[in-house]
Parts: sequence; structure tokens; C-alpha cells
Amino acid sequence: MTAALTVSLTGVTKRYRGTPALDSVDLSFGAGITGLLGPNGAGKTTFLRIVATVLAPDAGDVRLLGRVPETADRLAEVRRRLGYLPQEMGFPRGFTAFGFVDYMAVLKEWTAHAARHAEVRRVLDLVDLGNVTTKRISALSGGQRRRVALAQALLGEPDLLLLDEPTTGVDPEQRVTLRQVLSRAGERSTVLLSTHQTEDVAALCDRVVVLDAGRVRFDGPVTDLVATAAGRVWLADAPHPAARASWRTGTGRHRNVGEAAPPGAEPAEPTLEDAYLLLLGDRARTTAVAA
Amino acid sequence: MTAVVERRAAPAQATLRTLAWVEARRYARHPVFLLGAGLLVWSSVAISDDLDATFPDFKVAVGFLVGVFGVLVGYQLTRSLSRSTDAVTAAPADGVLRTAALCLACLVPGALGLAWVGWLYATAVLTSTPDSAIGTGDRIAILLAGAVATVGGPLVGVMVGRWTRFPGAGLVAAVLLVLWTGFSSSALEQRASHLTDLARLQAPFAFWTSSGDAHATNWVAGGSPWWHLAYVVLLCGLAATAAMVHEATGGRRTRLWRVLAVLGVLALGCLALAVAGDPTRVPL
Repeated sequence: MTAALTVSLTGVTKRYRGTPALDSVDLSFGAGITGLLGPNGAGKTTFLRIVATVLAPDAGDVRLLGRVPETADRLAEVRRRLGYLPQEMGFPRGFTAFGFVDYMAVLKEWTAHAARHAEVRRVLDLVDLGNVTTKRISALSGGQRRRVALAQALLGEPDLLLLDEPTTGVDPEQRVTLRQVLSRAGERSTVLLSTHQTEDVAALCDRVVVLDAGRVRFDGPVTDLVATAAGRVWLADAPHPAARASWRTGTGRHRNVGEAAPPGAEPAEPTLEDAYLLLLGDRARTTAVAA
Repeated sequence: MTAVVERRAAPAQATLRTLAWVEARRYARHPVFLLGAGLLVWSSVAISDDLDATFPDFKVAVGFLVGVFGVLVGYQLTRSLSRSTDAVTAAPADGVLRTAALCLACLVPGALGLAWVGWLYATAVLTSTPDSAIGTGDRIAILLAGAVATVGGPLVGVMVGRWTRFPGAGLVAAVLLVLWTGFSSSALEQRASHLTDLARLQAPFAFWTSSGDAHATNWVAGGSPWWHLAYVVLLCGLAATAAMVHEATGGRRTRLWRVLAVLGVLALGCLALAVAGDPTRVPL
């Protein structure tokens, strides 16, 4: 059964050559989907790798699924209930989609042949790859490969599902399919979803955590973050120089995100992206432009 | 939608067995292994027509085509999941178990090696290859050492795959292994002594007979083939344990280091016993 609090991190710090990737982070999560937002280098991937037991923190306490994963036995107990989609995932040469997920299923201790194959087919169907199971991964598109990687994370309906940019390279139709899969997973599991796609977070998550330079900048309901942008988003005929971000929309009008209302502007309904841009200011704008 | 399959955590032995079976199938389908096996079959035709009293040293064919090629296969299989490291690490089957499964998969080339030396021996017996100074038991030991080489090469590949990260490390290991064997076999050209026997037998693959036109009479070198066989078996154990040490942590790592030390001492003992016999070379 899923514990009330699945993930608990206290004072977690991780440094790379003296630069903090995570700086004394305190966070805890229960069942449901939480979105992790933040600019590149904010510490999202480091955070997920620590929760996935792939990386040990330099300092702080980590408690996962009611256990402190310090000994080999405890690590194995946690990993049995964990699904992890890393940010970057390559595949061994020569594997088919089925073969790779099947291999991962063996690593996840699915030893009974028939049950394992049934589970592999189930997760490949879930990510809509049931028709390409015998195709070599090298022959699949980028989006399909991403879904193969997601399929292995979904094996066995893990209690803790960690997804690092799961929708990268996935087309809009498939993103909707994946949202359905993830929303179902969030009904029974703790799902941590790191992404740059604010619309995915808005569509899926009850809670959002914004990381910046290894620190938590915001932690709360998505609606609360969106509410911080109320009255600070405007549609105008021209970009406003004081706006944090401004861009020309498809209608020809400029969307200005900032404190001051441009002349002749009309207020617009804020989105999570607006709120995120306002929260992080110039750092977020740089990232958004780069993206 | 298909319902999720209910299951319980499998014991480590069951996971090891299943994973070893998967790795064995990957090994058996590896192009370099298939190439080596194909060349071995092709070369066997020529070998079967050319058997003489030095036939136990014909094991070099299987040692090279399956053993040395196996260094590349073992290395590639070990490194093949390096681009999926995070996902693999987050799975409950830990690195020691994964490495142990790879080591067990090395029994695939071992089975081929054993079958081949069995065929070589049977062919030599059936074609009435003349008796020689090498007794039946020693012939079997020399041939079995060839079969062990087909396991040892891939195990070296697994070990190198665990301990090194630079591209081409498997190829470098294979070349070094060939050079090591070549260097040690050059001791056959030196005067017979315990020292030259040591120089020859410390290698994981040793030749026992003179051959070719360079010698007026063929002869068999000194030393004990059975103790040398035990020595190379222990070298295989050392390679497998060294590969697993890399993945182990805490108390398990300490235990594996101890196993490594014990195997090392035993290997040195077997090498000493292999060299201890009369170094005199006996005409075949």
C-alpha cells in the first residue's frame, strides 16, 4: 500500500565541483502528480536522480516509501516499487522495443516468462507502441524512443514514478495519450514530473515545485502559482519595454507579462507559463527564449 | 485495457538465472561471436586433414577465434547498457548480479570451446594420430585449457568493460592478450629451464609443443598441463571476481576483495606446481 508520505527529503544538498546543484532542499510528496519546473541547471534532474537512488546526496536525509535507502537490502526494496525515466536515455544497439522493455523487466525481477511478457505488452500498449514491438529501436522515431523509455518506467505500476521530461519529442496527439496514462498513474502513485512544458504541468499536476539554482522558489498548488500572475498579463498592440516577457501572438497582438500595463492594453487570463516567467524573472525568460 | 500482472519480488537466484539466460542469448547472437564460430568451423576442415602428434596445440584455433574474439563480445555486452545507466541503476537487480549474469553468459562460448576440443580429440583418435610423448591425460588437460580460454577471453572482456570507460578498451585488451601469449610462447625458442617454463606458463594460453620446420624433431615442453589447467581456471575466477568487485559496495566489496586475494594466491600456487616438474623437453 502507498504510504501517506512517499518521498521525504530534508536538507538535501548536492554539489558538483563546489557548485551547488541542490542546496539544502526540504520537500515531501504523497500520492498525486507533482510538476517540477525550473530553468536549465536548476537542479531538477539532480533532484530526480537522488529520489531514484541513482545519486547519493552530499548531505541531508532521504526517505523513500517509508525506508531510508542506505543498505543494499533497503535500496532493493525501494527500487522494486520505483519507476524512473531518466532525462537522457540511450538504448543498446540491436534491441527491439519489446526486447529492451523485456530486458528492463528482468532487471526489475520479473522472472516468470509469461507474466513478464504480458506486462511488457501491457506497458507498450499503454504508450501506444503495441504495433511496433518487433521493430528495432534504432528504426523508431525520437518520440517513439521516448515512449519506449517511458514504458520501462511504467513496468509493474510503481508506487513512485519519476519522469524527467517524458514528453520531449512526442507529438501533440501522443502527449494527450501520455497525459491519460500519467493521470491514471497519479490516482494511485506518487508521480514526480520534471518538465519544461508548463502546459503539461497545468494539465496534469495538482502541485508544482519550482526549483532555481538548487533552491525551492515555489511549492504549492498549480492554481496558487497561476494566481500570482493575475493582473500582470496584458494583451497590447506593441511590446512593453518594462515587461518581463513579451511576444507577438497569432492574432497579431503582443502578450506582455509584467507589472505595468502598456497603454491601451487589456488584461489577459494568466497561464502557468506567465506565472513561471514572473516568478523567475530574467532567468526564466532566457531559458524560454533559448527553448 | 490489459490489467497489470500481479507478482511478488523474485529471489535473487531466480533473477540471476533469468538474466543469465537473457545475456546468454545476447551472446549467442552477437555478430563477432557468430563470425568467430563460422571461421572456426571453416578452419576445422583444414585442421582435420593435418593432425599430427602436436594436435593438442591446435587448440589455438578455438582460443583465438572464440576466446580472443570473446574479449570483444564480453566487453560490448558489458558496455551496451552504458547509455541506459540511470534506468538500469534504478532497477532492483544490482550491478553485482548483472555482472554475475554476464559472467555466466560466457559459458556460451565455453560450451562451443568444449565441443570443439572434444571434436578435435575424437578426430585425432579416430584418424589414429600416432602416439607421442604426451600422455592421454596430458593431451586432455592441454585441450581443456583451450576450452577454458574460450571462457576466459569473454570474462576478460566483461572485466575490462566494468573497469574502463574509454572507447576501444575491449580491442586494446584483446590485442594485449594476444601479445602476452605471443611473448610467453617465445620462451619455447629458449633453452629448457624452470625459468623458461615459468615465462611460458604464466600466460593464460600456453603452447606445449614445438611445431613447424624450425625444429628437426618435434618435442613437448616441460611442466604440468593439469596444474596449468587449474591455473587458467583460477585466472577465469579472478577475472569474474574482479568484474564484480567494481560493482560491489560496503561489506560485499570487502568480501569480494578477499575472494580475489584467495584466488590470486591459489593461482600462484598452481602456477608454481605447473612449473615445478622436470623442464626437460621430450621428443615426440
